[in-house]
Amino acid sequence: MAVYKRSYSGYTGKITPRRSRFLILTRYSARGLFSSRIMTGLFILSLIFPILVIAGLYLNHNTQLMSLLKFHGDSFLEVKGTLFMFVMSFQGSFAFLITAFIGPGLIAPDLTNNALPLYFCRPISRTEYVLGRACVLLFLLSLVTWIPGLLIFGIQGTLSSGWAIEHLRIAEGILVGSLLWISILTLLALALSAWVRWKLVAGGLLLGVMFATTGFAGAIGAVMQTAKGLYLDPAAMVAIIYCNFFDIDNKSGIGTPGACLSLITMGAFCIWLLSKKIRAFQVVR
Amino acid sequence: MKTLWLTQIAAVLRVELGKTFFSRRGLWVYLLALAPLLIFGGHSMIMLVRAHVPCDFGNDTNVFAGIFQTLDLRVVIFFGCLGIFMNLFRGEVLDRSLHFYFLAPIRREVLVVGKYLAGIIAALVIFTTSTILQWIAMYAHFSSTIVLSYLRDGNGWSHLAAYAGTTALGCVGYGSVFLLMGALFRNPIFPAAGILIWESVNAFVPPLLQKFSVIYYLKSLCPIEAPPNVGPPFSLLIVNADPIAPAIAVSGILIFTLLVVVIATLQVRRMEINYSTD
Amino acid sequence: MADNQQVVFENVSKFYGDVLGVNRVTLSIPPGITSLVGPNGSGKTTLMNLMTGLLQPTRGRISVLGVSPNQPEQLFRQLGYCTQFDSFPRGFTGYQFVYSFLRIYGCTHSEAESFAWRAIDRVNMREAAHRKIAAYSKGMRQRIKLAQSTCHGPAVLVLDEPLNGLDPLVRAEVIAMLRSLAEEGMHIIISSHVLHEVDMISDQVVLLSNGYVVAEGKIRGVRNELDERPMQVLIRCNAPSLLAAKVFEQSSVVEARMHADGKGLLVKTKDPDKFYLQLNKIAMNGIGIESVTPADDDVNSLYEYLIGSEEPSK
Repeated sequence: MAVYKRSYSGYTGKITPRRSRFLILTRYSARGLFSSRIMTGLFILSLIFPILVIAGLYLNHNTQLMSLLKFHGDSFLEVKGTLFMFVMSFQGSFAFLITAFIGPGLIAPDLTNNALPLYFCRPISRTEYVLGRACVLLFLLSLVTWIPGLLIFGIQGTLSSGWAIEHLRIAEGILVGSLLWISILTLLALALSAWVRWKLVAGGLLLGVMFATTGFAGAIGAVMQTAKGLYLDPAAMVAIIYCNFFDIDNKSGIGTPGACLSLITMGAFCIWLLSKKIRAFQVVR
Repeated sequence: MKTLWLTQIAAVLRVELGKTFFSRRGLWVYLLALAPLLIFGGHSMIMLVRAHVPCDFGNDTNVFAGIFQTLDLRVVIFFGCLGIFMNLFRGEVLDRSLHFYFLAPIRREVLVVGKYLAGIIAALVIFTTSTILQWIAMYAHFSSTIVLSYLRDGNGWSHLAAYAGTTALGCVGYGSVFLLMGALFRNPIFPAAGILIWESVNAFVPPLLQKFSVIYYLKSLCPIEAPPNVGPPFSLLIVNADPIAPAIAVSGILIFTLLVVVIATLQVRRMEINYSTD
Repeated sequence: MADNQQVVFENVSKFYGDVLGVNRVTLSIPPGITSLVGPNGSGKTTLMNLMTGLLQPTRGRISVLGVSPNQPEQLFRQLGYCTQFDSFPRGFTGYQFVYSFLRIYGCTHSEAESFAWRAIDRVNMREAAHRKIAAYSKGMRQRIKLAQSTCHGPAVLVLDEPLNGLDPLVRAEVIAMLRSLAEEGMHIIISSHVLHEVDMISDQVVLLSNGYVVAEGKIRGVRNELDERPMQVLIRCNAPSLLAAKVFEQSSVVEARMHADGKGLLVKTKDPDKFYLQLNKIAMNGIGIESVTPADDDVNSLYEYLIGSEEPSK
């Protein structure tokens, strides 16, 4: 029987631009994020310390308030590289906790529930899929790391004229170190989430990888009497980068290029893992 | 009846050991056990190449002691057992295959024992072998005279036995804890992180509470105390201010393990199959 | 019939927190094929999971041939359950899957091997038995599940949507297999949405809706009890208009209308037995009647009357 009645027609309305199509995934991934009380609590806690530091900076420049509080020292907070090192390390720990909480749930459920064929039969590439998922962590971790860090830098700069120009390297260090840290955390979380396919195991593995790399780095140091083991520890690499930018002696002898190379190698390995696992089909051997 | 239980335990062992030993999923456990071996092996190779550099047997022995207590016990065995034992029940729930066991004519207690034994055998083989090979690798660059003297006239064999025994008891203790975590919690990672923190602060809690931890007993079984040149935080982890007698440590771990396995059994008896996506 | 010959639910309820699974279910399921029929979420799988011990009832008592589901070591020697879960232990081939669980049952190697191959042959999976289950098609996975649930020769077989994913030939084979097992005295409890197949194979039916048992018993028996729904009868004849005129004179007839193809009459009657007697007399007066068949004496109609009326209209 010939088809004589055609009532179906394709959608002719506006479609999402190609370049920002991956953000649809980000939007959907981020949807239920703050419905968890633990996540909301973690996020709020992560902002408390920068607020306290900003309060301390304000106190530094408010002699009246200092005398009211009966503080007789030169300054409440000594604003130099070590302070920013402490702030970024502290915020970096929160970034890790947030990643451990959210990261595993980004890709693992799609693999477990066979959702990848559904994504890839639509005009979205594997790269866009991973980028869409990664952006959730990149945005959230930025809110916890370099944004508060640069805010503290900016406030100190406005309170103390000329300070910002003199210490521009600190701002560079905050940005570079934070971006590297959140990138490596994001890639690790996504790679582990894709590799093990189970959300909760991926979370455990992320914890394990961080502890194990620190442990093995220390073991290599103790056994072989060398700091080269630190190349295995991403947290140590980022700390070295911070130290180099903040003019703090890191005692390891490892420079910024070496640390960056180590992080890039880890990132490349994670990308390789992702490329093996993010496929529209499953290979059974 | 007992013959049936033994047959069933053997059947469960066969299934589980195949899954643990020979699956690609278990590869990371082998890598974790291999990693310290690579460190000690690398050290020995470097020392063999640099034959002109004098070797300090005592220092190497202390370093091995420190690495064993910080890395092997607290990272390798901890996370390795976490992976192996949590997989036994929680992994089956995630795979949606636990109901096949519950639909077999096997008492749930027997099932728990079978799975626990499978986990223990796998963990013992992997980690005890790793510990022994690490010990051998550590001293591989010394001359045979020194090593034989250490074994014959020193405490070599007793130290090796102590390290292997501590590893084995660590697998037994941590295995039971993670078996229970897997049976009790939908997401055992947070309790596991809590246990990691608990084990780390064990030195600072009151004496009564110290007994509710695996590392408390394991530290007392290590043959060599914390090396004096290890700084914080590692010294805080391995210091043993109040060591207990080995016999008490061994029986303590075994009693602790038995209690935990019994609780796990009771939990599995009450378990319902209600797979849900999360 | 004694409890040790039936599957018995006594006032069983199951709540998942505040959500009702099943409520106050009292059933006795005799040997033969019993179908659990109901919409999604009506409690079919909950009932099956309760009788196999995968769930604990909030209230009530269950016994399967006299054995409580809390005694798995006795229960599963005589019960096999083919669940709806399309998941298997990782890394297993079809043969390993059936064989391994037979060893867990306590069989020796030779027993397990023999039972496993017998079960695999019964579902025509011998050629694929040594391939990984992960590489199987949906139908193959369903068949190997059936093999595993029947390999130990249980007296009670519980099957949750067993015909899912099977092609028509295999469906027919499975239905034949179930029929022959039922004739041997086995209790077979099936849940299915394919109502015409339920009609074909079931001896009795249990209709569930929103966690309650709406009706249970033999299909005809349930239908006969629905007084508020007059029985529909389709009469094929050469003169349907004339037959309609005769039929309208009968007091037991509520409605009569021509069949869409014009060669039959669809009659609704409050008293089928009386109507059939009257129809005989009408037939003897010269109207050629080719066939008389109940038009709503099936599970589909029961479903529509009892459950379809409860569901919100679209």
